[in-house]
Amino acid sequence: MKERYFSTFQLILLALLAVLIVVAKIALRLPLQVPGHSGLFWMAIILVAAGVVRKPGATSLVGLSSGILAAFLNMGDFGALNTLLSYTMIGVGADLALLLLRDPENLVVAVLVGVIGHMGKFLVKWTLGALSGAPLGFVALGQVRAVVGYIVFGALGGLLGGLTLQALRRAGFFAYLAEKR
Amino acid sequence: MTQTTRILIAIGIVIVIVTVVLGVELLRRQTGSSPAAVGEPTLVPGSIPIYLDGKLVGGFQPADLERLEKASFIEPAEGKKQEGWLLRDVLLLYVDAEKLNPGSLITVSSSSRGKTAQVTWAEADEPGNWVMFDLTNRGTLKLISALEKLSTRDQWIQDADKIEVVSP
Repeated sequence: MKERYFSTFQLILLALLAVLIVVAKIALRLPLQVPGHSGLFWMAIILVAAGVVRKPGATSLVGLSSGILAAFLNMGDFGALNTLLSYTMIGVGADLALLLLRDPENLVVAVLVGVIGHMGKFLVKWTLGALSGAPLGFVALGQVRAVVGYIVFGALGGLLGGLTLQALRRAGFFAYLAEKR
Repeated sequence: MTQTTRILIAIGIVIVIVTVVLGVELLRRQTGSSPAAVGEPTLVPGSIPIYLDGKLVGGFQPADLERLEKASFIEPAEGKKQEGWLLRDVLLLYVDAEKLNPGSLITVSSSSRGKTAQVTWAEADEPGNWVMFDLTNRGTLKLISALEKLSTRDQWIQDADKIEVVSP
């Protein structure tokens, strides 16, 4: 019998992390008026997903699942398609970065995966905005501010995720997972 | 390929993305300005044109922000702090208060999103209604308010690009 790419256990783990992203997006309110600040927890969860299920496509699946859920919950300012694509692209971006960089427990790698994944979301919002004929930013430096916000919070989220993975390894979580698989 | 090389490639990818985005935005800003009609003010790219009874009287632009006080309120639907500039203060920069009466109808619209919202001057002038512009993540303005008709995300006017005032 052909072995499935993701085991049921892995799919459950990824689905739980996808739900966690949506719950965190709804429940966690950082008192920051800075673009991209949600990347702090978002990229941390994505990095954890990449660490606990070390297969290409894992973070894309988390991104897609959380995107579908968020779209159905009518989240986001710019409609369901924008929400679905931006959530998905975070996962796809992280996956592509991991194909190049590999080990998400390396903190430099985690930071870069956080930045690239988060920039995926920014690119979706920017591209759809430009395609829909959205007006130029009112504040001339609006895009610079947004780009910097996405990079900084993506990096911090990636770092947080990398540190979480290291803590999970020290706690023996990965040995526990190996048994469950 | 060594890990250092991989990391440098990843950093290069981020730099390329940022450069392309900011380059395209700069290009849009440089080519986005249109010549003003005779007797009408020139609009700065990204500014929000304000029309009074069909005539362009000015464009709300970033330089105006220094002349305005910031306002903020916690919107009840999501419990999120919204911070920006009151519509009444924006209008009064370009329109004499004498030309506005409580029944004056203010229409804020977004051409890209095909959305419009209308409030009367009486509603905009009431501080407790918090009819104001907030800055979106991509640097455009969205109209929000504590008024029931403008209190949810679906009702807000994201990417606002025009303000029209018609006095009866």
